[in-house]
Amino acid sequence: MCFPLLGDSCVYVAGFGAVTESCGIVKESHGCKDVFVSESHLTLAFSDRLESWDLQKVEKTPTWSMELNKESSDSPLNLPLLPGGYIATKAPLYRSLSPHLKAKSVAVSAEHVMLLSATGAVYTWGLGSHGQLGHGVLTSEEKPRAVEALWGMPMVCVATGGWHSVCISGSSSTEETQEGDKHEEVFISIQAFPALLDVSPSCEIMAVSCGSRHTAAVTTTGDLYTCGWGDYGQLGHPTLKSTDEPQLVEFFKKQQMRVVDVVCGAWNTFVAVVEERVA
Amino acid sequence: MATLWSKISAVLPLSEEEFPLQFSDKVESSVVEMLRRSRQLLYRETAGTSRMLQAQIILDYSWEKLNTGTWRHVDKDWRRVYSYGCLFKVAALCHRDPSADDVLQAVRTCDMALLMGAAIMDNILQVIVQILQREVRKSTEEEDEAEHSEVKRVGVQPHGALEQQLIIALAASVTALSPRDELAVPRVKRPSLESFSTNYLLPHKPAILEGIIDHWPAFNQHPWSIEYLRSVAGCRTVPVEVGSRYTDEEWSQTLLTVNEFIDRYITRKGGAKAVGYLAQHQLFDQIPELKEDIRLPDYCCLGEGDEEDITVNAWFGPGGTVSPLHQDPQHNFLAQVVGSKYIRLYSPEDTDKLYPHQSQLLHNTSQVEVESPDLRRFPEFAEAPYLDCVLQPGDVLFIPVQHWHYVRSLELSFSVSFWWS
Repeated sequence: MCFPLLGDSCVYVAGFGAVTESCGIVKESHGCKDVFVSESHLTLAFSDRLESWDLQKVEKTPTWSMELNKESSDSPLNLPLLPGGYIATKAPLYRSLSPHLKAKSVAVSAEHVMLLSATGAVYTWGLGSHGQLGHGVLTSEEKPRAVEALWGMPMVCVATGGWHSVCISGSSSTEETQEGDKHEEVFISIQAFPALLDVSPSCEIMAVSCGSRHTAAVTTTGDLYTCGWGDYGQLGHPTLKSTDEPQLVEFFKKQQMRVVDVVCGAWNTFVAVVEERVA
Repeated sequence: MATLWSKISAVLPLSEEEFPLQFSDKVESSVVEMLRRSRQLLYRETAGTSRMLQAQIILDYSWEKLNTGTWRHVDKDWRRVYSYGCLFKVAALCHRDPSADDVLQAVRTCDMALLMGAAIMDNILQVIVQILQREVRKSTEEEDEAEHSEVKRVGVQPHGALEQQLIIALAASVTALSPRDELAVPRVKRPSLESFSTNYLLPHKPAILEGIIDHWPAFNQHPWSIEYLRSVAGCRTVPVEVGSRYTDEEWSQTLLTVNEFIDRYITRKGGAKAVGYLAQHQLFDQIPELKEDIRLPDYCCLGEGDEEDITVNAWFGPGGTVSPLHQDPQHNFLAQVVGSKYIRLYSPEDTDKLYPHQSQLLHNTSQVEVESPDLRRFPEFAEAPYLDCVLQPGDVLFIPVQHWHYVRSLELSFSVSFWWS
């Protein structure tokens, strides 16, 4: 498990890993423009190519690579989405996607994938036994299938956790969630249809991310809400209690910090903040 | 007087160096490192809390792997990691003056390893759970004497003629049919291997074999009863099916100790109305003491597979448990030990009249409710010929492969099934 940071056009990694033992520069990453990490691979985007490197083994060459031609390098990359397809969490790494899906972003997890199209429609596929695909049944889908329950409500952001999926709607200020079961003590029931996740007081969500069994969301007013499994402190609350209702993370308010972005690891949560000066 | 920890310690490898931790590439090096740290804590004295946390991390991480993808495809090494996690958690619970509750939690942890993990270190968790059970029995011996002597003795004496008639009448009245001879499953007393093979096995004909399990310790030295099951397996965790039948939407599975299962669904102390069934569980692998009470039917030697390939399942529940009409891919010897069951059999030749579910998951199950069929939706069902019976203690029903069968318990019941080919 290692965490990549992009700075000075190269990648720093921290954490336990076979590649580098502590925070250090990944030498293969010099000059890269974007980075994406999964449990097994580090994917780097350069101006002329893409490469995926194995995190467990020290290899001289990337596990997978792809040349970027002029047309594809013009359109902005949104890893793990890339020209013609996306990077999956396990082999085969590169999976193609039909252009008619008009993919704008893709969220991948061990069991399933969620795709947001330019029209605001959401597609899901993969294993569905925990209801994470949002089709109302617990069966798997081999190919992208539109989440009909969200039809007519354009989404702007998608995220996937280990056994659940989340998306944010564009027009309204509320968050739609497709829940799988998150943690056997908190969620015994399985929810196979998207359900509205109540954040109160009501507010606009601008970013969301999922860990393996928790969800974190940032509001336009700079607050962080979390819910799900809490045993390892990933919810950022004073106790380790798991919750199924989103709860405000008081810490940032108390420290007068405005949360501007959030990314979840499997059992932790990373937050970008801006310090607020009280006049 | 040896402490609990010293007894557990005695079955562990003598030193850290002799404690194996070998895994394939599938298990990331970071996880192996966590396992090494836990192993180290087994042989060194340190503060208590980090032991538990280390073990819990290993458990939580491997638990996620066990729940990713289909069970069939879960790498065996992840199940082994899970078992190691359980082992380290048991060590954390027991190594310093464990309370009675700690010991029960440790038993539950061993059971989780036996149910979900894969055997490690010569099935060390099976050895440890027996040590723990002895500890539990010691401390509950004084407590329970007063409480359980009041519980009615549920013995295994075969029913008297009057009771037998009453039960058959009950079965008949519910199914609104009078049992006729030609509809009854034929009964044979201790057939020879040859005559069983010629008359029933080869032509795939069902039969009730009488007198072939009379020698089981379950009828003799250790007659199975609720008290006996509590004493042998009371604190052990088992999977229980809750809900009237597995085709229902509200049907679910849960994990309970045998004591909890008996309290909640058999003696119904809490007044629960739902049906609970300890069904299709390889209880005898989990609790070797119970395995000693039964024997493999001799007729299984007529099959092709090895003894190890025979799946033995326990079926223990109150009256009213129902297994909807379904078929299995192997032959079955269904041995009745306690109580009685109404069973109906349909030939696979009549499958077209039984309306199996279309879905992949349930294609071996009929859509029809046998004892109250909806003949508007399933008209052909009324035309399907069948055989039925009331299986009594001491009977063994031979269900040929793919033969459709429907089972309803008429009273508290314990059956043992042997699936063989």
